[in-house]
Amino acid sequence: MDFNPCMKHKVVRKTVREFAEAELGAIAAELDREARFPREVAGKMGPLNYFGLQIPREYGGAALDSISYAITVEELSRVCPAMGLCITVHNSVGAFPILAFGTQAQKSRYLPELASGERIGAFCLTEANAGSDAGGVETHAVADDAGNYRINGTKIFVTNGGICGLALIFAVTAPDDPKRGASVFIVESEMPGYSVGEIEDLCGMRANPVSSIFLEDCPVTVDHLLGKPGDGLKIGLKTLDTGRIGIAAQGLGIAQGAFEASIRYAKERQQFNRPIASFQTIANYLADMATEIDAARLLLYRACALKDSGKAFGEAAAMAKLYCSAVAVKTADKAVQIHGGYGYSKEYEVERFYRDAKVTEIYEGTSEVQRMVISRAVLNRLV
Amino acid sequence: MDKIELIVCIKQVPLVSELPWDPKTKTLRREMAEGMMDPAAKHALEAALQIRKVMEEKAVAGKKKIRITVITMGPPMSEEVLREALAMGADSGVLLTDPRMAGADTLITSKILGAAIKKVRPDFDLVFCGSAASDSETGQVGPQLAEELDVPAAAYVERLDIENGHIRIQRLCDNFLETLEMDLPALVTIPPRTFFPRHVPLGGLQQSFEGGDVRTLLAADIALSPDLYAAKASPTKIVNVFSPTAEKENIRLRGAAKKVVEELFRRFEDRIGGAAGKDLKISDLKIPE
Repeated sequence: MDFNPCMKHKVVRKTVREFAEAELGAIAAELDREARFPREVAGKMGPLNYFGLQIPREYGGAALDSISYAITVEELSRVCPAMGLCITVHNSVGAFPILAFGTQAQKSRYLPELASGERIGAFCLTEANAGSDAGGVETHAVADDAGNYRINGTKIFVTNGGICGLALIFAVTAPDDPKRGASVFIVESEMPGYSVGEIEDLCGMRANPVSSIFLEDCPVTVDHLLGKPGDGLKIGLKTLDTGRIGIAAQGLGIAQGAFEASIRYAKERQQFNRPIASFQTIANYLADMATEIDAARLLLYRACALKDSGKAFGEAAAMAKLYCSAVAVKTADKAVQIHGGYGYSKEYEVERFYRDAKVTEIYEGTSEVQRMVISRAVLNRLV
Repeated sequence: MDKIELIVCIKQVPLVSELPWDPKTKTLRREMAEGMMDPAAKHALEAALQIRKVMEEKAVAGKKKIRITVITMGPPMSEEVLREALAMGADSGVLLTDPRMAGADTLITSKILGAAIKKVRPDFDLVFCGSAASDSETGQVGPQLAEELDVPAAAYVERLDIENGHIRIQRLCDNFLETLEMDLPALVTIPPRTFFPRHVPLGGLQQSFEGGDVRTLLAADIALSPDLYAAKASPTKIVNVFSPTAEKENIRLRGAAKKVVEELFRRFEDRIGGAAGKDLKISDLKIPE
């Protein structure tokens, strides 16, 4: 067991950090304030492979390992969590399912466009009556005699919704079959019957255009079906396992950003003629932050290492997601506390981290769902 | 020339400027530091990458092979900057690492780099160095290396063109823009000003770690004299180490245009002439009252 980062991972971290600080550092607050997705930065990220992090080279991707992937999302989120969100969702739940479950024709057709960032991906599961319970999905796809489908339904809270060029739609194809009743379809945004709703007015992650997506009689040929009819739940669960690594990395990045801001502030801020870092209470906050961030990072990288070695990683990813998101929320909360009144002001980045952190406990499986996943695994293993 | 050999000497420097100095040895405690590619060296690499692109476009018919080799000397972890350089577009990397090379001052560093270049690319055409590394700011290695290789050199180069066996360069010198020509092979040093480095592509990074061409050379591999130990052989004695401090002041000149311009010239006449590229006297100007 070796806990030292290898040379490649150190260089990946430096590379992404340099990019994020140079291209996003100065504008992250403005993007949040204006709820604007920075297309100009995304345009630069395409040729640098940020949209094809784990896509194989033959399709134009970077072919990175999972720890490098996690480090990339972590470092983007340390500066601009909303961009970290765009990248992790695109890579893990937009591109990954096509890579894992697509036919050769689907991979050749879609992966190059996804890897270059020409099409930004999204995964559409959530609906008004279906979130943690995928069984509540009402969007349905009806097959005709030729095996082609028409999709109808409304998806909500779609991350990347407003900029999405390729949406994976989770829809019911056999309403009477609870286990194999759902399927996943690849829907291109220019297809008839596809439209995007208003951008949601959310608490955090405001630079990401989260929206509803409407499907009205959207006709998809059978070659848009991902996997076989009825594979929906299987694809969904596998995709979420991968997605959880990304959201864990995002939470970790937010915690790291909030922590570093707190260190700087605690050293600078003078009260009673000395820096507040010299007060034991503040120093203890910093010590707890450092310890929890380190623990979160080890959990996350272990899940990544399991994934890369081809072992089952669902439970480890759930633990990483549960813990990293909790650490994000707690660290951002303490960061605001350390900053005092200034921390509550939009002038300081910790206010943004505070708002951005919360959703990491909600999307890609709430913390309650992660506990369900973990407890099931534990109960099955230990008799 | 059917092929052109470009060499870029790069250095790994500590990532942050506020690092502990060892008060006894008056050197940086490098073991405490995370490293990065020295900014000037990174600009030098960018200059080489850009000149390669320009030459490749010019020589579409001639199909000249232009090869960029990056060389660094340092502890084993300096390999990081070679991998990064390969990801940016360099073709191969050479890591000079050996306990005997530790503690080299600028003179011995130049001798070692010179020996390495003669060994691995004896037919080199142009060597690029950063103008001065961010950790010690001496600016000595480039010119000393040119002496070692016995080639002409120009420092602080901001533009360059290679054609027909010679190189034409431009540089800002004493606030004047100079154009110089040198025969190849030659050496240039690049300041961290003009050739802003590209971002490193992540795919390139993965490839450079998977199969990038990096070879490690020890003192014996480059035929360093067996009794040369860099720390002992270096004549430089460090007397004092300090961080230069720059003081900034905002000045606002108020009043009528004539008065403001007169005051500007009174304070900055020497620098105004330099920036404009010709001697400029206040009497040359027609300023409305």
